[in-house]
Amino acid sequence: MIEFDEQKKRLVLKLVYYGPALSGKTTNLLCLHDLLTKEGRGDLMMLDTKDDRTIYFDLLPFFLKTPSGLKIKVKVYTVPGQVRHDATRKAVLQRADGVAFIADSQATEARNNSTSFDNLETNLSLVGLNIERIPLVVQYNKRDLDDIIDEANIRRVWDPTGIPVYLTSALKGWGVLESFADLARQTYHSIDKRYDLAGRHGLSSSEFVSRLTTRS
Amino acid sequence: MAKTPTHSNGKREDNLFFVVGDEKKLTELMTCQEVAPLLQGIIQAGACYAVIVDDNSIRLWDHGRPETNRATCQVSKGLFLEGEEVAAIMVQGVQDNTPLIQGLASLAQTTLQGLAQNNLKLMLTTELHTSVVNLSQEELLAVNAKLTASEARYRELAASLKKTVEQRSAALKKAHSRLLQQEKMMAVGQLAAGVAHEINNPLGFIASNLRTLAKYIDRYRQLISALQQATATLPAEGQEPLQALSKKLKIAFIDEDLQELLGQSEEGCHRIKKIVADLKGFSHIDDGETTATDINIELERTLNVLTAQIPEGCRVSKDFAPLPSLLCQPALLCQVFVNIITNALQARKQGLHLKLSTQKSHNTITIEISDNGPGIPPHLVNRVFEPFFTTREVGEGTGMGMAVAYDIITAMAGTIKIDSSEDRGTTVTIRLPLKV
Ligand SMILES: Nc1nc2c(ncn2[C@@H]2O[C@H](COP(=O)(O)OP(=O)(O)O)[C@@H](O)[C@H]2O)c(=O)[nH]1
Ligand SMILES: [Mg+2]
Repeated sequence: MIEFDEQKKRLVLKLVYYGPALSGKTTNLLCLHDLLTKEGRGDLMMLDTKDDRTIYFDLLPFFLKTPSGLKIKVKVYTVPGQVRHDATRKAVLQRADGVAFIADSQATEARNNSTSFDNLETNLSLVGLNIERIPLVVQYNKRDLDDIIDEANIRRVWDPTGIPVYLTSALKGWGVLESFADLARQTYHSIDKRYDLAGRHGLSSSEFVSRLTTRS
Repeated sequence: MAKTPTHSNGKREDNLFFVVGDEKKLTELMTCQEVAPLLQGIIQAGACYAVIVDDNSIRLWDHGRPETNRATCQVSKGLFLEGEEVAAIMVQGVQDNTPLIQGLASLAQTTLQGLAQNNLKLMLTTELHTSVVNLSQEELLAVNAKLTASEARYRELAASLKKTVEQRSAALKKAHSRLLQQEKMMAVGQLAAGVAHEINNPLGFIASNLRTLAKYIDRYRQLISALQQATATLPAEGQEPLQALSKKLKIAFIDEDLQELLGQSEEGCHRIKKIVADLKGFSHIDDGETTATDINIELERTLNVLTAQIPEGCRVSKDFAPLPSLLCQPALLCQVFVNIITNALQARKQGLHLKLSTQKSHNTITIEISDNGPGIPPHLVNRVFEPFFTTREVGEGTGMGMAVAYDIITAMAGTIKIDSSEDRGTTVTIRLPLKV
């Protein structure tokens, strides 16, 4: 949570797209930007990308108001994937309310995926967040390519963890919205207990999700 | 900056002081120096008032003055930051300008949002950079150069927008003034054509009747002188009653006066004809085209047409040098002269001295029109060529006369300037190049 201000009736949430370099995090946000309605959605801000590689971060913001008048901003960030930008990753991960881990489905990337996931675990705990509790989805991206790790393999690894896994292609737009909606739903439930969004603010889970995922 | 959570093992990590995601206010993202030129541009383009208010209706920046007297239109556009409407730009103008105001509001919205977005990007990058990223000096320089370039692009955009708006509004005003002037001249032309027609017909038969009358009178006189010769041979008592009658009827005086009456009438006719010709010539209903023009004649004509406006006791001096004819549109020149002379004639009510002079140097014709009026205050002299500028009471002048004059003379590759001082009155000097 970036900010909650009772008086200003303002809640600012942070969702982070994490993962190894070039797995498709920026493409995910581009895809959301293209698919979703302009209503309540800001522009995609890409901070200085160098040769396709994010050295800072990307940001796609959303804004909505509950019937009670609570203003909710949802800021969706990507992190730079390269190992050397760990400091930036931590700064982005600070106070995150939910994480989408974008893995690269290509068989050759298996190692990078697991290194990056380890890094996520470490950094979450460094910034005081618990990977067991934080809303989390995993994307196996680039499903449109040929030489990719097969689904059975993925299931065998991830199903025991209970973390929802999406097979996506950010390039083709497959599964991008679904995984984002899942992350939004989980995030809603994790803060609803504390802020009573449904009771006090008249915002239901499905309303929250649909406001963030209305197609243009 | 947010509070830093303590690492689980109790050690504080320096780079964890920084949290990405702090909310920024619009006032942090835009400075007055950035916003002011845009708002100024909006006012210059024809709006009365432009204001940016935040979501609590608090005024952040404004320019111009709200219009309270005339019917207005107001166009408000939201300013969005990260999808949230954080402020609004409101542009107000007179109702007649509604499409312009709408256009300006949209233009301002786009520019301001672009500015905010770019500054936000700049700020986030700088923050993150100074707080977290450890790039090499080279990389840092490259990044900064890139950011400066994109920032410069926005500044350029804002500046060129201002310029475009200014140019467009100037062009609009010019077109507007030309239209008005054209309308006026068309009305004058039509009037002149009508008047010329109405006057020329009766004038034609009066003149021709006068000539006939002179002929007839001549015949009577021949008869009378023949009769006089015939009666001279009569005896004295026969002549007497005729001489008495002739004396009673003052025939000798009539004979003499007739000549004068006829002469005066003919001269009157001639003058009317000339006035009509001037009127026609002035409005140039016959020749709206480019022709070889004698500027002295055009000045003379203009003065004749304006006769009714010359105040009583006004002294008009003319000092015309012989001029070669100039290839131009005399109708336009007449407009210029009317506009300037009309101003001069209004300079003072009593003791006005209007001076018109023309001169020729080897390739320039210089025309000077001056009055001995109270002059134009120094701080206003430079503004008299602005469209809609007037020192007169509202309704007395359109404030366009000098702007139109400037426009026309400039189009003829000439120059026009004003010298004015309180003790010497005002002199307008026009220089026109003679084509070689
Ligand atoms: N074939 C394919 N290519 C993808 C997909 N998603 C991303 N890419 C490509 O992978 C490269 C890196 O993507 P990007 O989103 O910049 O990766 P990031 O470093 O995680 O932000 C780009 O060339 C993308 O076009 C996908 O689903 N399928
Ligand atoms: Mg990226």
